Amino acid sequence: MAEKMELDKVVVWDGNYAAAQALRQAQVDVVSAYPITPSTGVVEGYGKFLSDGYVDGEFIMVESEHAAMSGCVGAAAAGGRVATATSSQGFALMAEVLYQASGMRLPIVLCVVNRALASPLNVRGDHSDMYLGRDSGWIQLDAFNAQEAYDLVLMAFKIGEKHNVRLPVMVHQDGFITSHTAQNVHPLSDDEAYAFVGDYKPLDELLDFSRPVTYGAQTEEDWHYEHKAKQHKALIDSRVEIDAVFAEFEKITGRKYKRVESYMMDDADVAIVALGTTVETAKMVAEELRKEEGIKAGVVAPRVFRPFPFDAIKETLANVKAVGCMDRSAPGGALGALYNEVTSALHSGGSTALVTNYIYGLGGRDLTVDAIKDIYRELDKNAKSGKRSGKIQQFVSLRGPKLEYFE
Amino acid sequence: MSTIKKIRNLKDLSTSNDRFEGAHLLCPGCAHSIIVRELMNCTDDNLVISSNTGCLEVCTAVYPYTSWDTSWIHIGFENAATSIASAEAMYKARKRKGTLKDPDAPVKFVAFGGDGSTYDIGFQWLSGAVERGHDFTYICLDNEVYANTGGQRSGSTPLGASTTTAAAGRVSYGKKQMKKDLVGIMAAHGAPYVAQLAPNKWKDMIKKMQTALATEGPVFINAISACTTEWKFNPKDTISITDLATDSLVFPLYEIINGTELNITYRPKNVIPVKDYLGAQGRFRHLFKPENAHILEQWQKNVDAQWEYLQRREEARV
Amino acid sequence: MRQSENPKFLGTEELLGWDEVTQGVVLDSFVDEVDNVAFLKQEERPYAEFNSFTASVADWRVVKPIYNRDICIDCQNCWIFCPDTSIISRDKKMIGIDFDHCKGCGVCVEVCPTNPKSLLMFEERQDIDEALSKWPEKKKKSKKEEEK
Repeated sequence: MAEKMELDKVVVWDGNYAAAQALRQAQVDVVSAYPITPSTGVVEGYGKFLSDGYVDGEFIMVESEHAAMSGCVGAAAAGGRVATATSSQGFALMAEVLYQASGMRLPIVLCVVNRALASPLNVRGDHSDMYLGRDSGWIQLDAFNAQEAYDLVLMAFKIGEKHNVRLPVMVHQDGFITSHTAQNVHPLSDDEAYAFVGDYKPLDELLDFSRPVTYGAQTEEDWHYEHKAKQHKALIDSRVEIDAVFAEFEKITGRKYKRVESYMMDDADVAIVALGTTVETAKMVAEELRKEEGIKAGVVAPRVFRPFPFDAIKETLANVKAVGCMDRSAPGGALGALYNEVTSALHSGGSTALVTNYIYGLGGRDLTVDAIKDIYRELDKNAKSGKRSGKIQQFVSLRGPKLEYFE
Repeated sequence: MSTIKKIRNLKDLSTSNDRFEGAHLLCPGCAHSIIVRELMNCTDDNLVISSNTGCLEVCTAVYPYTSWDTSWIHIGFENAATSIASAEAMYKARKRKGTLKDPDAPVKFVAFGGDGSTYDIGFQWLSGAVERGHDFTYICLDNEVYANTGGQRSGSTPLGASTTTAAAGRVSYGKKQMKKDLVGIMAAHGAPYVAQLAPNKWKDMIKKMQTALATEGPVFINAISACTTEWKFNPKDTISITDLATDSLVFPLYEIINGTELNITYRPKNVIPVKDYLGAQGRFRHLFKPENAHILEQWQKNVDAQWEYLQRREEARV
Repeated sequence: MRQSENPKFLGTEELLGWDEVTQGVVLDSFVDEVDNVAFLKQEERPYAEFNSFTASVADWRVVKPIYNRDICIDCQNCWIFCPDTSIISRDKKMIGIDFDHCKGCGVCVEVCPTNPKSLLMFEERQDIDEALSKWPEKKKKSKKEEEK
């Protein structure tokens, strides 16, 4: 029987430890994991809990990240609560299994501590790993700080395990900036947290011998399409369940989560769309610029990256004149993911907003308050002049001659 | 409560109720299903089975059909060992927490993989699962080739075999490298039990499979699976080709306990020449050309050396 | 002998819509709960339509085995070495061939130890009674074989 921990009302945790605590409180049955910077803290925290008697489940330290996710899939199919954590190269290595997990409709929670993808090798935070997994069929939530990492991990179990959802869920947080930065967190008590997440209710489990099931069948051209369409539908429909879980969580904690978080958007002329810790910095800058320079600035963040909140994005940005979509990932010959997805939503609503794609923060390059101020000022100039001041894709804080693409 | 099924003879075994159903897509004469049936019939325990991508998996679970009467999971090419090991871990966790539907029902965890997925692409996964000591049995269905994708060479393909990616041609006699000794490698992991077996010697196979399932911890089994399609022989000859394999000592049958106690479990009354085994298969036909005579000689030397090694190790108990 | 009157050949299933396919591509082996299927004979199992047992690969055959009960000694060689679970054995006795699942590979004939064999391969269209009435005689060992 796992021992319970007495937690203070306010604690000082970094994002990794916060995620580990959430895993402990959810009473995960099997954690199958492999270490990689900067996610290692999650599994180390969890491992220490195990060694000190706070965890009743199994903890398998496998021999690679591909094995980590394979272990999660096998254990999930065996009918219990499953989780792991990874970053960057490890995420890339487990990529094929991510698709397999979602295709098999298995609830698994993956804490992704976002880190740049090599080459060159880099251990700092950026979103290239998150972007790699875009099409993998997982529900994907983004935490901007340690509190949210903790909250969203608890919610992830609840969302994914619902029988009418049955999808694996990623909870992203910025590598180092969130994962390694100690912050104030208001945790739930062990009892409250577990009561919220609830018991795991198996479905189609390998360990129900009275009902043998086959997982992982092959489908050829006569069946594949229908199965993938069904999976896509489940992902799209999960929005309703995500909203319900957010609402339930708000009742217990007072903390309100939305699939699109928006700050000062009611009267915004210009807006930044971003993910991760950038959102918090942008909020701060937007407030300052409103006061100091009268720029009606707002911030929009897709809290739920997948299923992409197409309607909510469209709605939130409906009256904005200039938008800066900030992508923290090497764009690989095209415009950034947020830019592409936001503009498609805007376009469908007939928006005439000028949208700029800002590539920034690659490999953990710091995004400064001044840089964001410049972005808002540029957006404001665009809005007022009705013309984009440069090309569509800009690079923020890049040393060397100016690079810009697409017009 | 798990008990070892008492099987005194083949008639006893024949009272087993097969849990591997027909109308699968395996080639007529395929030895994979003979091995799978023998495994499933050697025990009455519940089974949870995983398979790597390969002939067995692809031919027994194509939507909307399954040939498995027990719970079965396929994830990908490499990870049957990991998926069954983690299913076993989940079983342990749920048993401890009291969330199993039938906690007293005996169950065994078994993974199947072809040689391609076991010797090559899934080796790390197998190695890790064995190193961690999960309680499961891994059976490699060894047909010495990537059969499911049309016959490409694998780490298990033996010397001189012609495969599509290491073909016999005007300037080549086929595969130049030796077959990996995976049984030895897995014994060196310290697994409590590893064995090599063949479906023609059903008694030896059943005994080893029962030992495997009864052994607590990780077990590795290499099972020769004669492939009518890629070894190129008439489907009806699957068992007789396997007889040639075991009687020529190309496929010696033995077991290693705790990595050190090697027991040879089959000593043919008459050891037949290796070239009789090779000559019965189309994949070695080119070795009988005069310019390849040295390969045939090398083959016999290698098999003799392997047999000598096994005997010495059996005696030395190392 | 077992053979369906309306065989469900592979590939003839009704093609269903996304709303009717199974969640997670999971396939059930049975339609009802089973206690331990290892203790249930095939004829006692509540097979689901998903179970390949309910399908037929009879159309794979070009030749088929015919079984002679009079000569058979119930050694069970054919039962254990059949790759297609198509030799039906009950209570240690060979009772027939499952012609829904037999692919005509011929392994059973090769491993049959009786003389003459209790199983022989014939053309697919061969009438069974006719074949049985014309069963070959016991093969005498040639002088050469006896000297071996």
